[in-house]
Amino acid sequence: MLSEFAKVLLFLIIGVIFVAGGLITNRLIRPHKPNPEKSTIYECGEEPIGNPWVKFNIRFYTVALIFLIFEVEVVFLFPWAVIYKELGLFAFIEMVVFLLILILGYVYAWAKGDLEWDKPKPKYLGFEREKREIEEVQA
Amino acid sequence: MIPLSWYLFLSLILFTIGVLGVLIRRNAIVIFMCIELMLNSVNLALVGFSSYIGNEIGQMLVFFVLVVAAAEVSVGLAIIIAIFRNRLTVNIDEINLLKW
Amino acid sequence: MEERFIIELTQSLKNFLPEVSLTVTLSLVILLDLIFGRRFKNIGAFVSLAGLVVTLFFTIKQYGGSYQIFRGMFVVDPYSTFFKFVFLLSAFVIVIFSLQSYELRETSARRRIGEYYFFILSLTLGAFLMAGSVNLIMMYLSLELVSISSYILAGYIKESERSSEASMKYVIYGALSSGLMIYGISLVYGLTGELNIYAINASFLSSGYSPIVLMISLVLILAGFGYKISAVPFHYWTPDVYEGAPITVTAFLSVSSKAAGFAMLVRFLKASFIDRTITLGIEGAWAVIQGLPLTEIVAVLSALTMTVGNIIAIWQNNLKRMLAYSSIAHAGYILMGVVVMQNLGISAMLIYFLAYLFMNLGAFYCVMLVAEKTGSEDIEVYKGLGYRAPFLSIVFTIFLVSLTGIPPTFGFIGKLYLFSALINAKVIWLAVVGVLNSVVSLYYYIRVVRNMFLGDPESGKEPINFSPAHIVVMLILVIPTLLFGVYFTPIVNFAQISVAMFGLR
Repeated sequence: MLSEFAKVLLFLIIGVIFVAGGLITNRLIRPHKPNPEKSTIYECGEEPIGNPWVKFNIRFYTVALIFLIFEVEVVFLFPWAVIYKELGLFAFIEMVVFLLILILGYVYAWAKGDLEWDKPKPKYLGFEREKREIEEVQA
Repeated sequence: MIPLSWYLFLSLILFTIGVLGVLIRRNAIVIFMCIELMLNSVNLALVGFSSYIGNEIGQMLVFFVLVVAAAEVSVGLAIIIAIFRNRLTVNIDEINLLKW
Repeated sequence: MEERFIIELTQSLKNFLPEVSLTVTLSLVILLDLIFGRRFKNIGAFVSLAGLVVTLFFTIKQYGGSYQIFRGMFVVDPYSTFFKFVFLLSAFVIVIFSLQSYELRETSARRRIGEYYFFILSLTLGAFLMAGSVNLIMMYLSLELVSISSYILAGYIKESERSSEASMKYVIYGALSSGLMIYGISLVYGLTGELNIYAINASFLSSGYSPIVLMISLVLILAGFGYKISAVPFHYWTPDVYEGAPITVTAFLSVSSKAAGFAMLVRFLKASFIDRTITLGIEGAWAVIQGLPLTEIVAVLSALTMTVGNIIAIWQNNLKRMLAYSSIAHAGYILMGVVVMQNLGISAMLIYFLAYLFMNLGAFYCVMLVAEKTGSEDIEVYKGLGYRAPFLSIVFTIFLVSLTGIPPTFGFIGKLYLFSALINAKVIWLAVVGVLNSVVSLYYYIRVVRNMFLGDPESGKEPINFSPAHIVVMLILVIPTLLFGVYFTPIVNFAQISVAMFGLR
């Protein structure tokens, strides 16, 4: 009889064969006639604008950071949920304290406007220095 | 059943890659990724030990390592952003105002 | 199950009041700053001061007891309480420094000043936890709490390139060494299956261990501790961070974070690697478990740390950087107290920490005031300062003399006890290295004094005046430095009572 892991392995192998087989037969039997229209990047029928390798707005990053912190704290909720019934009210109070402290952080981020999307453009702090350097070079 | 030593060797390899990455790579963000790799290799070792020894303390530590890693990296990335706004570079060879 | 748990927890919480009050204070700081921060700029500072006083009250009430709380996660004993006093005192002084600091007033940091005090308090909380934790989980977590707070504090002046660079270097070194440390911890866990240091010790003694693996994991864990106390192979971050960070933060890191590192290091070494089956016949001495050259490792670390710190400090022209190297050297001196593996050495270490608290904070305060008035931390601006600001120069000289370890200052008493502990344990070579190092350190401390009193003023001759508040703070720091240099019996007694750790001889 197969062990559990062998079943997973078998599943994996079959999956790989299925996908690879499909792609390879496709490659073998399809006609190959590229033209410029065809080889543009598919963007839902629109004309693609510019390169896909653009810089993302920094605000995604701030939101992602905040998300990361709160998401990771959930790790502590899982073991707590497992023994919740055994500990009852006490466990509830414990977790409320924990979450209150977390919420404090959330309130802070909110009040400081880190969740706002429309914010003034962040300033490049090095301008002063560059101006100074240019002046030095000129002098 | 996979023997414990396999986990430990994998964890050691990952840890070494992480340490080497921190020492060799010059891009601050890649350095942080390598640090994450180090911490995750530790997690692997802890989980391996935990299931081998048969107590759950090691798995408990894994939770905390995960959370600390997230906190450390978010602070680290914020600092990288601060330095990027000042210097327009994250190459740690160019960040050399303070020396000796 | 539930009842027993609740009873245990209320018992634990009763002995956890200082930490609870700190936590409440730091939540209040951030909340009140959000609500009233616009109108009252310094609300964070005053709330922090009030919170620190309340915490001090609870800590004093706690002194003397010895309990294990939260199921072997944390202990309250005279040893940890002693360190809590050190942390509280330094946090208190630093908040007062920060109220006067021009760096925090004149830069963009003034817009985030409430959070600044939040991080000062969270660093203190982390240090509290480090002093008392007896479980490797708790140790790692509290170490990270201290580290993360200090990363942020080091880069607090965002538009200053030096400050952000310091913060960046700190975070990379810190994350690397804490990664090494947690790997070491995982190996210890694999060896013993325990994370509580008493249980680890019991497992070493009862079921044996492989010395080589233990050695590797010990070295890895020492990397984490060594980074925190800036011992030599792990010291590279120290000068850069100390130079780049705002000076109030530098002063705080040099005392609190270092003291916390030492508190945890000594407890870890003593509790995990003690061999209880051997009695050495000397009062308060402990034997290291077999096959582990712990004494030699720490002795070499100590000798290296002070030598490298002192020798590089000679070439420094930036006072902040010089004090950074001097703080590395002081870590080496303090490690001498660990080498002897006796309670005598630990009590000497505690005395030294009290001395270090006053003299180091004082020295940084003087550098801060001079930098505020002259705009530079370079040694050149100290030329002729003795005529422009006589009071500050004399006070600064006292701090520097105390850092060198010349009587009649507190620093001398600290060094005296460290050396006598070493000689008592017959580690003569290290004592010789220590004395030689003190001579070297005299050179660079006295260079500043010479500049102040014998140099000709170059950057202006007009006298520099200080406000009464500045003078009061200087007096608060200089009086203990001199007083305890002469009248040191109560301090020594206090330290000797405070070496008692939970569950250890």
